[in-house]
Amino acid sequence: MTPFLRNMLVIARRDFLAIVATPTFLLFLLAPLFMVGMGLAGGMGASQLADSARGAGRIVAVVGAGDVEALRAADARLRASVARRVPVLEVRIASPATADPVAIAREKGSDTYAVLSGPLATPRIVEREADSNAGHYLALLADDVLRSKAAGPLPAVAPKFEALSSGGTSIALQQSLGFGAVFIIFLLTLLLAGQTVSSLAEEKGNKVIEILAAAVPLESVFLGKLLGFLGVAVLFIAFWLVMALVGGMIAALQIDPAALASVQSASKATAALAAAPATGWPFFLGIGFVYFILSFLLLGAVFLGVGAQAATVREIQMLSLPITIFQVGMFSLSTAAASAPGSTLSTVAQIFPFSSPLAMAARAATDDSKAVHLLALGWQAIWVALVIFLSVRLFRAGVLSGGSSWKFWRKKTRA
Amino acid sequence: MNDFSVEAIGLTKYFGDFKAVDNVSLTVPTGSIYGVLGPNGAGKTTSLRMTLGIIDPDEGTSRVFGERPQAVRHRIGYLPEERGLYPGMKAREAIAFMGALRGLDWSEGRRRAATFMTELGLERVIDEKIRKMSKGMAQMIQLIGSIVHAPDLIVLDEPFSGLDPVNQERLEMLVRRERDRGATILFSTHVMAHAERLCDRLAIIARSQRRFEGTVDDARGLLPMQVRYTPRADADATAIAALLPAGAEPRGDSWFFPIEDADVEPLLARITGSGLGVAGLSITRPALHDAFVHIVRQVDASFDADARTDAVEEALA
Repeated sequence: MTPFLRNMLVIARRDFLAIVATPTFLLFLLAPLFMVGMGLAGGMGASQLADSARGAGRIVAVVGAGDVEALRAADARLRASVARRVPVLEVRIASPATADPVAIAREKGSDTYAVLSGPLATPRIVEREADSNAGHYLALLADDVLRSKAAGPLPAVAPKFEALSSGGTSIALQQSLGFGAVFIIFLLTLLLAGQTVSSLAEEKGNKVIEILAAAVPLESVFLGKLLGFLGVAVLFIAFWLVMALVGGMIAALQIDPAALASVQSASKATAALAAAPATGWPFFLGIGFVYFILSFLLLGAVFLGVGAQAATVREIQMLSLPITIFQVGMFSLSTAAASAPGSTLSTVAQIFPFSSPLAMAARAATDDSKAVHLLALGWQAIWVALVIFLSVRLFRAGVLSGGSSWKFWRKKTRA
Repeated sequence: MNDFSVEAIGLTKYFGDFKAVDNVSLTVPTGSIYGVLGPNGAGKTTSLRMTLGIIDPDEGTSRVFGERPQAVRHRIGYLPEERGLYPGMKAREAIAFMGALRGLDWSEGRRRAATFMTELGLERVIDEKIRKMSKGMAQMIQLIGSIVHAPDLIVLDEPFSGLDPVNQERLEMLVRRERDRGATILFSTHVMAHAERLCDRLAIIARSQRRFEGTVDDARGLLPMQVRYTPRADADATAIAALLPAGAEPRGDSWFFPIEDADVEPLLARITGSGLGVAGLSITRPALHDAFVHIVRQVDASFDADARTDAVEEALA
C-alpha cells in the first residue's frame, strides 16, 4: 500500500469511527423515519391533488378528413357515458406530413396518453402505458365511428396496441426508472454529502489541522475525510436496505400467499416491477450505486473545499443555503435530462461533471449501451481529483496562509 | 548520513504586506539539540512551519535530510505551538493515531503509547478521553504522539509553555533521551533557562530576522564578563576608582564593571598588589538570558532609530 493511500485510510478510519461511535449517529440513522412520516402526510395531500388533476392531458387521433366530424360526435357520445374522466381528444387529419404516432406521443407541452393512427378498422394505437384506459377509449371511438357509417353488421375493430417501448419495456417506465435513480441518488447525496461541509471545522477548531498538515499531504486528508463520510453513507444505506429486506420478509410471512398472488395479478405494480431498465437490473443497480459514490465524492469534495474556507460555525451555516441550492440545481438539470433522453439537454447534463452521475444513472435506464458508463466514471473521477486538488490549493493559500498562488502578483506589488 | 538534518536557507514569508520572516536560515547538525529563540511574534513559528513544508516560503528553500520536507514526513515528529487533539479520543488512541499518520502500525502505536505514558507517570490516564484531561496532561499526550514513531527529527514549537515544573523537567529528560537515541531536536522557546540547559546550538530571531547563530557559550560571549569587587572596608574610594576600569560603578560596598577575558589576570594582579584588600570578588560570565536581552534590545533600538529617521525625512519632505 502506498503511503498516500495508507494516510488516507488512517484519516478515513478516524473520521468514520468518530461519527459512528457516538449516540447522535443513532439519531442520524433513524432520520429517515421522520422523513417517511412527513412523506406520508405530504403524500395524502398529493394524492388528493392528483385525483383532482386526473384526466388532464390528451389523447390524439390521426384520421382521414372524412372521419373527423364522426369522430368528434362519437367522442361526445362516449365521453358522456364513461364514468371516468377521459383526457381531451385532439383530432389531426392524416396526411403524408403528419408526424409518426410515436413522435406525437413524445411531443412536449402536454401529456399524451395514447395516439390512434391508420385505418379505423385496424388502427395502430400507441399508448404511453400498456393496456391503458386511454388506448381502449380510442379503440372504442374507432369502433363507434365505423358503426355510425356502416349500414349493416361489421366485424369488430382490430386495434394493434403498442406501448412506447424498447426491448419489451415501456420507454415511459424506463424513464420513470431513470427518474427514480436520479431522485434516489439526489436524496442520498443531499442527506449525506452535505455533512462534509463542516468536516474540517473540527480540525480547525481543535487545532489538529496543523498536525495533519505536517504529517500527511493535505490531499490525503481531504480524500480520507471524503472516504470516511462515504463509509458512513454506505453504512446508512446498508442499514436501511437490511431493514427493508427484513421488513419485507416479515410482511411476506404475515400475508396469505393466495391473497398476495391475486393482488399481484391485478395490480399495475406488477407491470412496473416487470419493467426492466435498458441495461438490465443487475447492471442498472450496480452502476447506480457506483454513480451514487461518484456523486457523493464529487459534491462532497466541493462542499469540503467550500467548508474548509469557513472560519466559524456561523459561516458554515451560511454556506448551507447555496450548497442546497446547488444540489437542487443539479437535481433539476438531471431530471429534465431524464425526461428527454437523447436530447441536447440530457447530453449537457451527462457531461457537466456535477450532474453527470445523476444524468448517467438515468441514461442507464433508457439506453442499453454500457461502455459509455466507463467513460463517464473516468470523467467524474477526474473531476473528483480536480476538485480535491483545487480545494487543497485554496485551503493552503487561504487557511494555512501558505499558498504561492499569488506569488507573482505579490512580488510585483512589493517591488 | 547527512551532517545536517535541516538546511533551511533564506526563508522569507509575507502575510499581506507584513514580512513575518526575512531571510532566515537554519542549519541544524544531525544529532544535536538546536534552539530557535526569540521574543513573541519574532517569526519563530512561521520559520519552523516553512522548514517543515507546512506552509510555503515566498523565498528560500528548506531541505530535511537532504530532501524536500514533504518527502520525509514519516521521519519527522512535530509538536505545533497551537496544541490540538481530538477531544473524544482516548489518550492511547490519540497517540496511536499520530503514529499511524507517520506510518506506524496502530497496534505498535498503542503498545508504545502505553510504555511512554507509564514512563512519564501518566499510566492512570491511558484510556481516559482527552477532554477529561488537564491542559498539561493533554500536552504531554501530544508530545508523546509526536515522538511515538521514533522520528529522526523532532520539531517542538514552544514545548515548555503550559507545563508545570515537574513536567518541564520530564520534557527536558525526554528531549535528552531522544537526542541520545540519535534524533535531532529542533525546538523554539522564549524561556532561556531551557535553552541554556538543552541546546547544543541556537539561533536568535528578532524582528523577523536571524540575529545570532552559534553555541550557548558563543551567545554568552557576546557580552563581557561582569566583575563584582568588594574592597576592604577602610579602603580609600579614590584609590579604588583609580585602580579599576573607567566604567566601574560603586553600589553599596561593592564595585561593578564589565571586563574582557584578556583583562582578567592583569586586573587580579593589580588588585592583589594594590593593598586595598579583597573582602569579596566574583567574575561571572553573563547568562544566555542577558545575551538574548542584549541582542533583542539592540535590534529594537536600531528599529526605533530607523523609525525616527523615517519620521524626520517624512516631515522634511
